[in-house]
Amino acid sequence: MEVVRLRVNGDERVCGVPAHYTLLETLRYGLGLTGSKQGCDKGDCGACTVIVDGRAILSCITPVWEAEGREVRTVEGLANGTETHPVQDEFDLNGAAQCGFCTPGILCSSVALLDGNQSPTREEIRKALAGNLCRCTGYEKIYDAVEAAAARLGP
Amino acid sequence: MNRRNGPRAPRDGLNTIGRPMRKVDGLAKATGRARYTDDIRLPGMLHGKILRSPHPHARIVAIDTSRAEALAGVHAVVTGRDMPTAYGIIPWTPDEYPLCVDKVRYIGDGVAAVAAVDEDTAIAALDLIDVTYEELPAYLDPHEAIATEAGPYIHEPRKPGWNGNVTKVVKLEFGDVDGGLEDADIVVENDYFFEGTTHTPIEPHCAIGLAEGNGKLTVWSATQVPHYLHRELARVLDVDPAKVRVIQPPVGGAFGGKSEPFDLEFCVAKLSMMTGRPVKILYTREEVFYAHRGRHPFHMRYRTGATREGMLTSVDAEIVLDGGAYASFGLVTTYYSGQLLTAPYQMPAYRFHSTRAYTNKPACGPKRGHGSVQPRFAIEVQLDRIAECLSIDPIELRRRNFIGSHTRTVNDLRVTSNGFLECLEEVERASGWKRKYRRLPYGRGVGVAGSTYITGTNYPIYPNEMPQSGVQLQVDRSGRVAVFSGASEIGQGVDSMVAYVVAEELGVPLEHIRVLAGDTDFTPVDLGAYSSRVTFMLGNACIEASRKLKAKVQEAVAEAWEAKPREVLLAGGWAVRAGDTGTSMPLREAFNLAETKFGTLGATGSYNTPKDVHGSYRGATIGASPAYSFTAHVAEVEVDPETGFVTVDKIWIAHDCGRALNPVLVAGQMEGSAYMGFAEAIMEEQIFKSANQGREGLHNAPSLLDYRIPTSLDTPALESLIVESIDPEGPYGAKEAGEGPLHPSIPAIANAIYDAVGVRMDALPFSPPRVWRALQAPDGGRWAPGRAKEVVGVGGSQ
Amino acid sequence: MLRLPPFRYHRPGTVEEAISLLARFGEDALPIAGGTDLMPNMKHRLFTPAHVVSLNGIAAMRGIGAVNGPPPASGNGRVSRAADRHLRIGALETLADVSRHPLVRHHLTGLADAAGLVAGPQLRNMGTIGGNVCLDTRCTYYNQTEFWRDALGYCLKKDGTVCHVTRVGRKCVAAHSADTPPNLIALDAMLTLAGPDGTREITAADFFVTDGIWNTRRARDEILTEIRIPIVERRRSAYRKLRQRHSIDFPLLSVAVVADFADDETVAGLAGVVSALGARPRVLAGWGEMAAGERLSGDLIEALAGRAWSQCRPLDNIIVDPEWRRAMVPVYVRRALGEVAGGGGLREGAGE
Ligand SMILES: Cc1cc2nc3c(=O)[nH]c(=O)nc-3n(C[C@H](O)[C@H](O)[C@H](O)COP(=O)(O)OP(=O)(O)OC[C@H]3O[C@@H](n4cnc5c(N)ncnc54)[C@H](O)[C@@H]3O)c2cc1C
Ligand code: SF4
Ligand code: FES
Ligand code: FES
Repeated sequence: MEVVRLRVNGDERVCGVPAHYTLLETLRYGLGLTGSKQGCDKGDCGACTVIVDGRAILSCITPVWEAEGREVRTVEGLANGTETHPVQDEFDLNGAAQCGFCTPGILCSSVALLDGNQSPTREEIRKALAGNLCRCTGYEKIYDAVEAAAARLGP
Repeated sequence: MNRRNGPRAPRDGLNTIGRPMRKVDGLAKATGRARYTDDIRLPGMLHGKILRSPHPHARIVAIDTSRAEALAGVHAVVTGRDMPTAYGIIPWTPDEYPLCVDKVRYIGDGVAAVAAVDEDTAIAALDLIDVTYEELPAYLDPHEAIATEAGPYIHEPRKPGWNGNVTKVVKLEFGDVDGGLEDADIVVENDYFFEGTTHTPIEPHCAIGLAEGNGKLTVWSATQVPHYLHRELARVLDVDPAKVRVIQPPVGGAFGGKSEPFDLEFCVAKLSMMTGRPVKILYTREEVFYAHRGRHPFHMRYRTGATREGMLTSVDAEIVLDGGAYASFGLVTTYYSGQLLTAPYQMPAYRFHSTRAYTNKPACGPKRGHGSVQPRFAIEVQLDRIAECLSIDPIELRRRNFIGSHTRTVNDLRVTSNGFLECLEEVERASGWKRKYRRLPYGRGVGVAGSTYITGTNYPIYPNEMPQSGVQLQVDRSGRVAVFSGASEIGQGVDSMVAYVVAEELGVPLEHIRVLAGDTDFTPVDLGAYSSRVTFMLGNACIEASRKLKAKVQEAVAEAWEAKPREVLLAGGWAVRAGDTGTSMPLREAFNLAETKFGTLGATGSYNTPKDVHGSYRGATIGASPAYSFTAHVAEVEVDPETGFVTVDKIWIAHDCGRALNPVLVAGQMEGSAYMGFAEAIMEEQIFKSANQGREGLHNAPSLLDYRIPTSLDTPALESLIVESIDPEGPYGAKEAGEGPLHPSIPAIANAIYDAVGVRMDALPFSPPRVWRALQAPDGGRWAPGRAKEVVGVGGSQ
Repeated sequence: MLRLPPFRYHRPGTVEEAISLLARFGEDALPIAGGTDLMPNMKHRLFTPAHVVSLNGIAAMRGIGAVNGPPPASGNGRVSRAADRHLRIGALETLADVSRHPLVRHHLTGLADAAGLVAGPQLRNMGTIGGNVCLDTRCTYYNQTEFWRDALGYCLKKDGTVCHVTRVGRKCVAAHSADTPPNLIALDAMLTLAGPDGTREITAADFFVTDGIWNTRRARDEILTEIRIPIVERRRSAYRKLRQRHSIDFPLLSVAVVADFADDETVAGLAGVVSALGARPRVLAGWGEMAAGERLSGDLIEALAGRAWSQCRPLDNIIVDPEWRRAMVPVYVRRALGEVAGGGGLREGAGE
């Protein structure tokens, strides 16, 4: 066991983990942040996507030590206090989460996109989500939700 | 009749049903709070791992677990001998064990399991289990498996002299098939091959077992059939069923891949019984590919006869199903391969002869559109060929053969509502079919296909006369209504559906309804999330329970108002007197009045199927359903003739779901289905290495990198066109939307490829190398760049 | 879960510290940058280093910028014109940053496209160009779990004695599968390697060897620190990647072309590189002579494509119809050349 210090969703967290833990294992099993999911565990599916220093990355192939000193944001940290992020609300309204297992990762990719581009085109949304596999929706409702969220966030 | 999902006015006097609404679990899923099985951590929990066979077919000579048991941190090791009771989801074909007892039958078959303090220790312990195998010849090809006369068979023959490599043979004939073929003006005959594909839910299977000192056994599992799991756990592990509890947390996708018990569920239970500690097993993605139970590869030959006018005269099918190592649902699949083809077109005569073979590969089973997606591909391409031969527009051809509503099929299935013609009309209109069919430039094309699917099976998997679905309602003094539902939420929205029904019937706002589901200790039995049965069956049960409760509330309020019970309306959170809006009270007060009068308020409802919906021949019950959904697709594709790449630009999906209880969810099911069909059409293949590829029966590449499922950049635009035929027996007229809309994607794309470049793709998937090869063939491409396609009788005139 | 094997993690702050760690632990250590190749490979037990040396704390290995003067040692001259400027890309720059950088986009279109076509968005946010250049070779019999490889019976490259692709050969022919190197080779890029004995420069073309087990001339204790690419006026480049899925997919075949044009649009220099065949990207022979002084006409493109076809033979190291992949060589070459001939008009379809 080694002690790792992480900044997750604005909190400073200290956690004892085996030295060969990934960021995903640390979040899920070390810190109890089970929102981030595991679908393949080797970089193929995007279910484990979290935002590190503003960018969407895959936590299942990130050694936990690489996250030290950086700002980690997970699905649990997207809401602003009691107010959900518009993209979360739009996922709910548009039926963009069916089984919901890809959802945390897709939300993180979407928020990383919207943080840098408040009015993405549908094509830009498609491209931004091209590393997140969803097996339920056919993606159509997900684009609807991200578009609607962008409209709410926009000027 | 159609609409994109959007707000709309109440119809048919319904307030909630038919509107776009949030899901009851939408927020939990959008905030990461939904707790899936692997998100659960119990105090003192151990981690289990399963040792798997590296051989496709071998006898287990000996297993020595002593070194593993001696490893520090290991708490228990089990082998097949510890759980020697055979099971199988179909009671007539129990042919598997929680862990292999004498034989392994595919690479990945479970042999032993360990529970240890952590996963690393459990993995290390697997390396210390010594298994001695005696390798046996393996069968990979179903034809070879069937042809063999000696053995060693994959399974012991059930009767001496039988072939132990055959799960099931079904031969059924309706009408005069040979006569119909003889009398036909044209007969089209072709071979088709449907490659195996797998479900690939994003959540890998996971289970946790907890055995307590008092004999209680609890299993949490990502399953779509908690009830069947409950039964099998009790039977195989010899535990009093009343002491077994199955909890089904939210499931991260299933599609049929979690619809029977799996080795991990028995292993966590057994290991917990041995250690007294909770035990969790989470499959790796690789193990999900081995657990499989996905689409069977089908080798099909169809002969289809038609008159000059395009009316079908006779259909004759010969099918070999490649079943993999175990029966799974295979007995049903073998029937479904023929039984579900007899609508939406009238078939005067029909015969099918289907044989399911065992092979040394992971077992095949039910995947979305169980057993009928493969023959549907074949028949819809057959129809396209007939239309072509006769110069009839393929939509018109389908119209002419429409079977109608409130009728019986040639194999004696009762059909009630049928919106297929509207579906054809919708896709024809929305896609601009008449402008496009045979008129797009070389390389672009459109194709059409239709289909039907069951709304639940008429009979449960094990014979019994009890209801197929039950629900219980309970009301407290705050106005909150709790729904105890046995149904399995797997992403399709069933928990929301029951809430919508209760809201509609009792007038309770959605936010006052709690749905408690997926726990066999607290909920009535529902048979599970398979065969598109839940909305129809549980929806009806829920209406029944709600109306019982409503009657009590009406009676109590009527008494207070000195009115007639039927004058008491419940809506929008209020009880209101009909024709006198001044007289009203909040629902909470109404409930309190009812509780005062009747005592604690609750009600149950259940649903069972009508029994007069099928014939009486052997097998007639399989394929029988209380109602059928209907679908039509038009796909538009672009084929790059140089490379063979097929880009599906768009699929128009028209689906008769009976009634859309929530159009957002219905459209979501339609799109997800069309996506999944598209995926099978273009890229997916669950395939295995051959002996000259290093290892016979080894999965080609069990990962999400190499088993390619479509990304956002691959998936076509999908347009849902909801058609409502209002079924007489469905809840508010609803049927199903979760599986039917998958079927036509594949043949519609095949037919569109033909329209684009003039090659027939009769084997799946239509991957670039295959399309390219088809185009390279001497006869590759009926039309060529620059040459006009022959425009056939668009509009139907010959 | 797929677990990582145990290891110790080191985060040096300078190239020197990193090299001394690598030198100290020898065979027991591996460098890691984005980790998008190494982590999956470790989960598959293809590598089980006791020490993992992270390069990510080394600021000197970052940055993208134009530098005056030609790259240190000039390239091997396949492409004609001398450069008086070059672009320096630190090895730790992510593929996302490389693909979006305005200088890269402007001067090195093919490289920008290639970086933008690697894997999916998250992997491009993590994966570095240095890691891409040093990417391990790939093979259907190799990039699999320990269980799978055990059931297979292992292979030459890792733990075994036979090659399942060639069956007879004693050489591994696993496919070079990285997207950026074919472009770097065609662009005459120079790689800087830092090792215990100081730094050395090597052309991208010389960097790769045909041995699929370790397909570069990088010693195990050397680190790729930066890449320098000449900026040449009137040079146009293009990249085409064959893959069955439009994202999250390695190349089944890749084609990079670079052409220098004279003022009258005749070809002054031409280079083509094809990869995802064997362990080393293939520099197409005879192209420069065929094209010199000519316009890139349809006929010339056709002839060049034919020439490429005769030099490229895809293998069964990737289980996708090798005959089809071979037939795609001229098609993809034609498309890439069409793009440079047309002045970069067909920008969208690099993925097909
Ligand atoms: C699902 C998936 C899909 C992918 N698809 C593609 C694809 O389409 N195209 C493609 O090209 N790649 C693909 N990759 C591989 C990978 O993401 C990229 O090649 C990436 O650029 C690798 O860079 P990295 O920094 O992550 O490498 P790392 O994993 O950090 O390193 C890769 C190797 O290089 C060594 N190394 C890294 N940096 C240095 C250095 N500076 N000096 C010396 N040695 C070094 C490491 O020791 C390791 O052996 C894919 C990966 C995954 C998981
Ligand atoms: S090419 Fe041969 S030796 Fe190399 S990885 Fe593939 S099978 Fe192994
Ligand atoms: S779990 Fe990380 S990419 Fe699949
Ligand atoms: S909602 Fe189920 S995988 Fe996307």
